[in-house]
Amino acid sequence: MGGGNDKTMHLQFGGKRLLILGGSCDLAIALTECAIRAGLFPLLTFRNKERERHIAEKLPNTSQYDTCYLDFADRSSLNFLLNKVGKRLDFLVDFAQGDFESLIASANEMRIYSYLAENIAFRAEMLKKVSRVMLQNGKGRMIFVSSSAAVRLNQGQGFYAASKLAAEALYKSIGLELGSFGITTVSLRPGYIGEGRGKTFIQKQGEAILQKIPIHRVLHSQEVAETILFLLSESARGFNATEILMDGGLTAGK
Amino acid sequence: MDFLSEIKSILTDILDIEGFRISEKTYLIRDLEAESIDLLELAVCLNAKFKIEVNDDEIYLKQLRAFIDEAQREKSDIIKYLAEKYPFLSPARIEEILADLDGGPALKIKDLISYVKWQRK
Repeated sequence: MGGGNDKTMHLQFGGKRLLILGGSCDLAIALTECAIRAGLFPLLTFRNKERERHIAEKLPNTSQYDTCYLDFADRSSLNFLLNKVGKRLDFLVDFAQGDFESLIASANEMRIYSYLAENIAFRAEMLKKVSRVMLQNGKGRMIFVSSSAAVRLNQGQGFYAASKLAAEALYKSIGLELGSFGITTVSLRPGYIGEGRGKTFIQKQGEAILQKIPIHRVLHSQEVAETILFLLSESARGFNATEILMDGGLTAGK
Repeated sequence: MDFLSEIKSILTDILDIEGFRISEKTYLIRDLEAESIDLLELAVCLNAKFKIEVNDDEIYLKQLRAFIDEAQREKSDIIKYLAEKYPFLSPARIEEILADLDGGPALKIKDLISYVKWQRK
């Protein structure tokens, strides 16, 4: 698999409607572009006006996708989204993730509760409701975009890792429970990505971080997006209720 | 609308029980041996068929025993307490359920029908 329209054309998809949570991040934008080329119709969520504008700037052809407000801190926004989704939903890709970097022993206590409620409890409610939409359709495919930091974390990433692992468990359970109904799940754990949040970290760490990665480079949004598109395709249906590492070999060695 | 026929049709499909005689008095779990995944599928089908919101905890009386304990702790009238929690069940039906608890899950097809009718109001 590699970049380019010709290669993505070979993938077959069991539907068209793709819901992308956290739709304004760089990876989501890259996935949206790939998905549109592959004939899918994405619905991207944004959490505020600024992120909505960001999507519109990055994806000017607004007839090829739709957007919807969704804030993990606002439960009512979920009903708004589900009304927009209606009964037709074939795919879900979940990039949504709040920021909370803190040592456990120095974390703000209120923030602990709100962060875990937003990133775990809200996600569980969302998954319950999306699963039921997919059950009505008799099929569905969900990809959770986790992180290699879920299993190999830096100091200060405890809450991030905890929420990623909890979310992975939720997705895995859906794959176990609903696989027989045609609803399957995969969690993808990308390593360092050269764009978005990862960019700042990599700039701070410099060359040292690249030396820890056997392929001596970070990932690019485009290649991660293409991998997600592959995971959505019929060719990847055999992957279910599992986690896949995509980190250039970072976590394989000492 | 013939609610019994519609629910029978859904259950026959989900539980693969062609030929099994289902009446309003049939127990969903004791007689039909519906499992949790079947109950989930049934809830989704009821939602789609009757255009109603289905709260699994309510329709399947999932917290029944916890509510009974609560009512006893608070020294409340159990039937009144349960009638507030399950407004789709009549006091007579609640009384019947309470007398039937030792045999296992008391949920019957007629309770599903009551729930659907209540939600459609």
